[in-house]
Amino acid sequence: MLVKEFAAIYYSSVAYVVAAVFMLLMSYTFCAQLFHMRSASLAGTLIQAATLLLLTVPFLTMRQFSEERRSGTLELLLSSRADGLAIVMAKFLATFSMLTFLVVMVLAFPLTLSFISAPDWGPIVSGLVGLLLLGGALSAIGLAVSVFTSNQLVAAVLSLGIFLLLWMSEALGVFFGDPFDDIAVAISLDTRFTPFVTGAVYLSDFGFFLSLTLLGILLSVAGLARR
Amino acid sequence: MMSGSKNVARAQETAKPLSPPIIVAKNLTKRFGSRLAVDDVSFSLDAGEVMGLLGPNGSGKSTILRMLVGTLRANEGEISIAGHDIVTSGRFARTNIGYVPENTPLYDSMRVTEFLQFMAGLKGLRKQQVDEALERVCDQLELNDVRRQPIHTLSHGFRQRVAIAQALLSSPPLIILDEPTNGLDPRQIIECRNLILSLAGKHSILVTSHILTEIEKIADRAGILLHGRLLAVEDLRNNPDAGDLESRFLALTAPH
Repeated sequence: MLVKEFAAIYYSSVAYVVAAVFMLLMSYTFCAQLFHMRSASLAGTLIQAATLLLLTVPFLTMRQFSEERRSGTLELLLSSRADGLAIVMAKFLATFSMLTFLVVMVLAFPLTLSFISAPDWGPIVSGLVGLLLLGGALSAIGLAVSVFTSNQLVAAVLSLGIFLLLWMSEALGVFFGDPFDDIAVAISLDTRFTPFVTGAVYLSDFGFFLSLTLLGILLSVAGLARR
Repeated sequence: MMSGSKNVARAQETAKPLSPPIIVAKNLTKRFGSRLAVDDVSFSLDAGEVMGLLGPNGSGKSTILRMLVGTLRANEGEISIAGHDIVTSGRFARTNIGYVPENTPLYDSMRVTEFLQFMAGLKGLRKQQVDEALERVCDQLELNDVRRQPIHTLSHGFRQRVAIAQALLSSPPLIILDEPTNGLDPRQIIECRNLILSLAGKHSILVTSHILTEIEKIADRAGILLHGRLLAVEDLRNNPDAGDLESRFLALTAPH
């Protein structure tokens, strides 16, 4: 199961196009920050990586279950001995491995920087950990969305909408009264991610991203079971 | 013409199974929103028997099969496969089923061998069993010439054979085929029919079709479905007085 899902990701041209565009935009951000703004801090680059993850993960998760549903192969999987959790975990790990690959490529920027200066590795490492946690949560939510539709485009657009809403929920919180404004801040991906790039790692932020990942996986399993 | 309940009763009287039924479906009901797709359907399938579910498109045939294999949950009713409840012991129940869904869904990018190995893994076959099972099903379905071919290059007939091959990998006692002759040319239909007949006896087979003659040629019994209701279960082998299936089908499904 795992081998099939890894093959589906890595034999797909979508993954490589996503990786290429991601690195192109990241390189542009890095160069702009370094040469135009004359800043050796990587905080902006890492936040840019996070926003690019919001935009790229839907393209990786949109076909995971949607395509299986559309082609009918989900019937083959679900009528076998494999249980829902194994099917979901295989797809999650395959997507997450691709995101890990993207995050490892981001490492090229601090390494480049280390040739010309002495970057502070603490915030860089915690920022990369934050990117992995964010990527895991986005993958799980994207998978859950793709369970509920057989249309890849609908899955991608819905995922993107949810990601952006979660990212911006802190800003939207001002429109709500107490206690919804606090909730909007607490569930904001932006609020939870930003401390990682400054080197401030809170257990609550760790727990938030892991809980979101678990929620996405459980929703996916429940979505498969309730068919 | 006989009523549904009389037919079920007669079928139960005439069939004298040596072992318990492989499928027992009781009072199955499935709703999609407000639409009633399957309405209080009950039937059983004995070991070694071939049963056909016959009905027009939208009569609930595929929905019943999906509930039997556990990919769709019934709103009401119970299903037992080889003595295992499909909901509470789904994994054990599914071990006894080889399922060929409608329209032969396959992973097109995989090669035939690769796909069959993947499916064997999903069915829980051990590594040494996989090679043996692959040899057996490829011989049985004459797939040896296309084993290394990507599935997307295969003709519809070969795709259907690959779909049936994956169902036979673990030699399950029950084979469920959803519209297996759909989209096949006349020669392929005859080959598919002969294949199903060759599997009869060794496996219990439940097959759906909207083509009356196909069911008549393959099945020992035929369940006639309309609007989600099982109108009758006709004995096609031991009931020469009941007339041909066509006239019985027309009589049962005639608009009132």
